[in-house]
Amino acid sequence: MSTSPRIAITGSGAVCGAGMTVEKIFAAVLGGQSAVAPIALWDAEHWPIRLAAGVNGVSDRELVEDRKLHKSISRTDFFGIHAAGVAVKSSGIPAHRETLDAADVPFFNDRSGIVVGSGGGAYNSNYEYLPLMTVAGGDLRKFGEELGATVNPMWLLRNLPNNVLCHVGIRHMFKGTNACITNQCAGGVLAVAEAAESLRMDEADRIVAVGHDTLIEPEAVLGYHKLGLLSTDVLRPFDRDRTGTIFGEGGAAVMLEKFDGAQARKAAILGEFLGHGCVTEATGIVDLRPDGDGPARAIALALADAGIAAADVGMIVAHGNGTIASDASEAKGILRVFGGNPPPVTAFKWAVGHLIAASGILDLVLALEALRHGVVPGVPTLNTVDPEFSTLPVSREAQKPRSAIALVLCRGFGGMNVALIVRAAKA
Amino acid sequence: MSKRVRVAITGIGMVTPIGNTTAATWDALRAGKSGAGPITIFDATGFSTRIGAEVKGFDFENGIADRKLLKLASRSHRFALNAAEQALADAGIRPTAETAERWGLVVGAGMMGVSFEELSSVHRHAAADGELHPDQLLAPDYPADPISFCRTQTNAGLSLLTKNFGVRGYASAVHTACSSGGQAIGTALKVMRRGNVDAMIAGGFDSMLNPIGLSGFCLLGALSTDNDTPERASRPFDATRNGFLLGEGAAFLVLEKWESARARGAKIYAELAGDGNSLSCYRITDTPPDGDGPIQAIRQSLADAGLKPEDIDYVNAHGTSTQMNDRSECVALGAVMGDHLQNVAVSSTKSSMGHLIAAAGAVEAAVCALAIRDGIAPVNANWSTPDPQCSNINLVTGQSRPMRISAALSNSLGFGGSNSSLTFRHPDLVEA
Repeated sequence: MSTSPRIAITGSGAVCGAGMTVEKIFAAVLGGQSAVAPIALWDAEHWPIRLAAGVNGVSDRELVEDRKLHKSISRTDFFGIHAAGVAVKSSGIPAHRETLDAADVPFFNDRSGIVVGSGGGAYNSNYEYLPLMTVAGGDLRKFGEELGATVNPMWLLRNLPNNVLCHVGIRHMFKGTNACITNQCAGGVLAVAEAAESLRMDEADRIVAVGHDTLIEPEAVLGYHKLGLLSTDVLRPFDRDRTGTIFGEGGAAVMLEKFDGAQARKAAILGEFLGHGCVTEATGIVDLRPDGDGPARAIALALADAGIAAADVGMIVAHGNGTIASDASEAKGILRVFGGNPPPVTAFKWAVGHLIAASGILDLVLALEALRHGVVPGVPTLNTVDPEFSTLPVSREAQKPRSAIALVLCRGFGGMNVALIVRAAKA
Repeated sequence: MSKRVRVAITGIGMVTPIGNTTAATWDALRAGKSGAGPITIFDATGFSTRIGAEVKGFDFENGIADRKLLKLASRSHRFALNAAEQALADAGIRPTAETAERWGLVVGAGMMGVSFEELSSVHRHAAADGELHPDQLLAPDYPADPISFCRTQTNAGLSLLTKNFGVRGYASAVHTACSSGGQAIGTALKVMRRGNVDAMIAGGFDSMLNPIGLSGFCLLGALSTDNDTPERASRPFDATRNGFLLGEGAAFLVLEKWESARARGAKIYAELAGDGNSLSCYRITDTPPDGDGPIQAIRQSLADAGLKPEDIDYVNAHGTSTQMNDRSECVALGAVMGDHLQNVAVSSTKSSMGHLIAAAGAVEAAVCALAIRDGIAPVNANWSTPDPQCSNINLVTGQSRPMRISAALSNSLGFGGSNSSLTFRHPDLVEA
């Protein structure tokens, strides 16, 4: 849309199994290092699924400095708060706020927003009730009577899906427009899209978009495994022999600002948000259409929103989760839009795992890095591109982006498909 | 800026503790009937709060033709499917193969994914001593049922709704605790305005009336413990109020572009005219005593609708019946409305049906549309003792108040500090 204001990306942050900084994570991806390792969150030695890209060996304090907060948030929140903090700080906004007249600060805060794509952690959090259930022995009356003596009074607050929204808001005094999106995989990318739209509609001047999730919990792993979605060894996106996805965990965030405002305060601009498209295939919780309808429509909408042609896209970061059905239909959707000449395609989940609600926004952060480095990282776990879509230009080796514009695809339960388009600034 | 898309509310569907249809709910609300009673869904006799506002006499097994889909639906998903179907039937329009891509759906979804029965099964099979032993989940007798697993996904309700009604455009689910429903409808308004879709189904659903949900609020001391007088437990703005009453249910609206709704001769309840949104950045459970946060949301909502405070005739308050919320909300209303506040009828739907959490904002948006259509400000039930700290508002006490409502405002203020304020206008004003 020609009339809508331009949107700058002025900060980014991420944490996942591959590292606690964007630079480190991107270096791992580019260097062909995967963070997939034996599950460390419980003893999974006898489990059918023993691998995940967990954030291991990192203390709570390293993720969230404020110790008082540790008791009132859950594991997934640590990741979101960390990533958002890095994105906000690296944008220079807190330092810029320091330079304002005190009288202007309240308005500045009211014009600063936050949108979060919040994930799960839905199973472990309930286990705080297990000791009470043992005490109650199946007697609900006793369950109620012993509740106060057995369960932490903070339980509900610790498990609010909108905790990251609340605590990042308080930490940075971002008091403006806000939302917490609980749309499974699509959460993080929709946070970016909604943040961008709020800036376009002049609801705010700057918004941090965050995604966070952890699915590395016994019940989640078991549930996905029973659905046949997990690989037991290697995540091989678009490979003929792909067997499924592998969980990761973490968070990612980007700071979005009106372009004019970012220029006026002489912010370092990483890139520009250009457009988005969001559709559902209306296929229910897990199913998806085999024909690529959703990805194709989401891409078409995003291109139209960005006001660019398919030929302008320099690289595609695919969802590429490594499952049989999703990769096949995603490839079809891409080929449907780009025809016989798609730009280089890559995917990052082989290295960082599937971060579900944080996956797409982490891909976006890494896409910007890739463009800024002028490289489309290869997929070292790829042996043979599936002959069903052999013209998809995904490869083991690194490729060159055709332009500074990246298309990021994200797919999720609910038949969700979201496409984002960004342009990187010159590094 | 080019001419803005106007959004019409053309359909309403509700399943609430005071009625399983829009008409039944609206009748009961106007009469100030209470949906409260002792909790019957499970044995709550050991809890500090043993009362709630349950949906009653709801047919969980029928109303949705797709049996397979229904099997995947939780208690609150079934409320949602039913309420959305009501809304579409009421609007007289629904997605077709030709229009599906131009329909969107946004929901405020509750936070409870795992049911108590499922957690009990985990306990029985793998945590008998109170601690999870993951390996025991692998035992052949543990029923790791893919259907119940799917049901626990954060967007399960959204998925079932889009599939059931064949919505193929923008779809999303939001959760900002008690303001989820308001935020969902606000998001839908934005999606309509920016032209992503031509029509939407928007609403909220929730049920925390289960042992875990009730526990969460009991532990926080947020609920009224008036166990002997459940129907009087929720009394927003009354000086003796002592916590909220937990409810459950769903409400959905059908939203259409104004011109298309008119062109097809649809009845229009009201215009969904403005959305305001802020974060209090105060404390996770409290709203600031000085109204900071809600004030900005209300102001934005009015500005977004192109209205002044003087244009508002009715406010559907968040009014949870907690000491803190009601006081803070009155301060915020006073700050925005000034002297005009004495002319504004104020009531809280929660006085009658309790707090529907993620569905509350959606129910209350529907109530605003009905209030505008019928020219009635519904009563704030159970009020008897004046609270000097809430005396600045013109509360609708005793009985519902017939009055012309040109514009109405609905506030939703959530745990976590998200504030949502929606503005609605009478159709006559839009076309004046």
